[in-house]
Amino acid sequence: MKRENIQIKELISDLQDFYFLSFQGLLGLVRRPFYSKDMIEQMDYLGTGSFFIILLISLFIGMALSLQLSAELSGLGFKMYIGRIVGVSIIREIGPVMAALVFAGRVGSGMASELGSMILGHQVDTLRVFGVDPVRKLVTPRVLGCLIMLPALTIIGDTVSILGGYYIAVFVSHQSGSVYWSSIRGVLNFENVLSGFVKPFVFGYLIACISCYMGLSTKGGAVGLRRATTRAVVASFIMIIVADFILTRVLFYILGFSL
Amino acid sequence: MIVFDRVSFSYAIQQVLKDVSFSIPFNERVAILGGSGDGKTTLLKLIVGLLRPDSGRIVIDGKDITDEKEDELREIRTKFSIVFQEGALFDSLNVKENVAFGLREYTKMTEEEISQKVRELLGKVGVEHAIELMPEELSGGMLRRVAIMRSLAAFDPKMFLYDEATTGLDPVNADIICRLILDLAKGGKGFIIVTHKVFDALRLAERFMFLKSGSIIFDGNKDQLMHASIPEIQVFLRELNPPSEASFHKAEG
Repeated sequence: MKRENIQIKELISDLQDFYFLSFQGLLGLVRRPFYSKDMIEQMDYLGTGSFFIILLISLFIGMALSLQLSAELSGLGFKMYIGRIVGVSIIREIGPVMAALVFAGRVGSGMASELGSMILGHQVDTLRVFGVDPVRKLVTPRVLGCLIMLPALTIIGDTVSILGGYYIAVFVSHQSGSVYWSSIRGVLNFENVLSGFVKPFVFGYLIACISCYMGLSTKGGAVGLRRATTRAVVASFIMIIVADFILTRVLFYILGFSL
Repeated sequence: MIVFDRVSFSYAIQQVLKDVSFSIPFNERVAILGGSGDGKTTLLKLIVGLLRPDSGRIVIDGKDITDEKEDELREIRTKFSIVFQEGALFDSLNVKENVAFGLREYTKMTEEEISQKVRELLGKVGVEHAIELMPEELSGGMLRRVAIMRSLAAFDPKMFLYDEATTGLDPVNADIICRLILDLAKGGKGFIIVTHKVFDALRLAERFMFLKSGSIIFDGNKDQLMHASIPEIQVFLRELNPPSEASFHKAEG
């Protein structure tokens, strides 16, 4: 068989394996056996490990955004809209995407390298010899961890970003605090909150599936492990951005936002 | 009985095994020799269904497992006790949890019974004191001993499969592992050990197979191996008679 044909065959087979792993990883949430200890461990690792990084980044993103808007809107006499624009940008777009990118960078690479070393050290083979499905034991707890922890971290990150924006708007830009909060309250409607809440679930699922797949398909020693880790992060970043656009478009359509 | 009938296997475009055929009774002590990348580990993985052959047939205990699904292979795998290279202990679990892993998956033993069984097994191989240690805290020899005990904790295998069981160990630890392998085989249970250490292979096995570029180029007993004229085997046998200092200097000159 020609080399090109083999490569095409491999690509199709890889895609097939990825979809299978993603589906099985999700199915494991509702089918026995449940590895509850692994699930709790993963949530702890994913959540607490990323908490302070997301907190810090969110704070500075909120402050930088507020600062940029202050500079731009002051000249136009629209300073009272700072809170509104900060709120909408953070809740709908920047908060979920930023949290997901940080999360993918930190835990996506960790997941891929951990599973990759398990593959290279024959630990995954050992699981199979013991009759344990590696997807249920290794992938499902990570999928659940991401599905719960990324939305939770996004909500916390959004809150901190808005607080950072408040600090700049009130203490640097000398805007009234009540105006800032009332404009924030104005954007905390069902559509915006839903829009910001759906995205982290999808991003979390994508990060878990991509990272686990890359880790479990590691081949070729230390170089292979490095390649798998890099691919996991790069693919997660790209998929987050692509999915963000698609989700925004779909949510706009479903929630009836006019363009 | 393990039967391989014209089995071929490849990773993408790289063919690893080519038309390999043999039969091995469960009570036979077999060493599979060969260089790195010649398909020794792949062969072990095919036996327990961790890999699927591209062509040919694999029959285990009368059952054709070539196209068996993962769930159906569970029963076949209980017939073997497999120890991978460097032990393959789970990094995130301590020694006790590693050995207890199979017991938790396969039996309904209470925590107290599991603890007792684990201590008993570790005591047999002299690593009871390491029960609370993590795998990274163990020496190479201890890792292998724990791995061997883990592999037979939950079920009573018909045959042992060892992947490079003594590779990377100092002579003392290699000797401990060899004695353990022979002890476990005393009940009439056979084993297949894949190795490139001909000294250990000669000490342990009664039948020898030699893999070269994915094909079996030799299959015979100890006598036949020692008198084989195949150049690759000759190179391996040199490990038994290392060159003298004089010949070394002569070669250098």
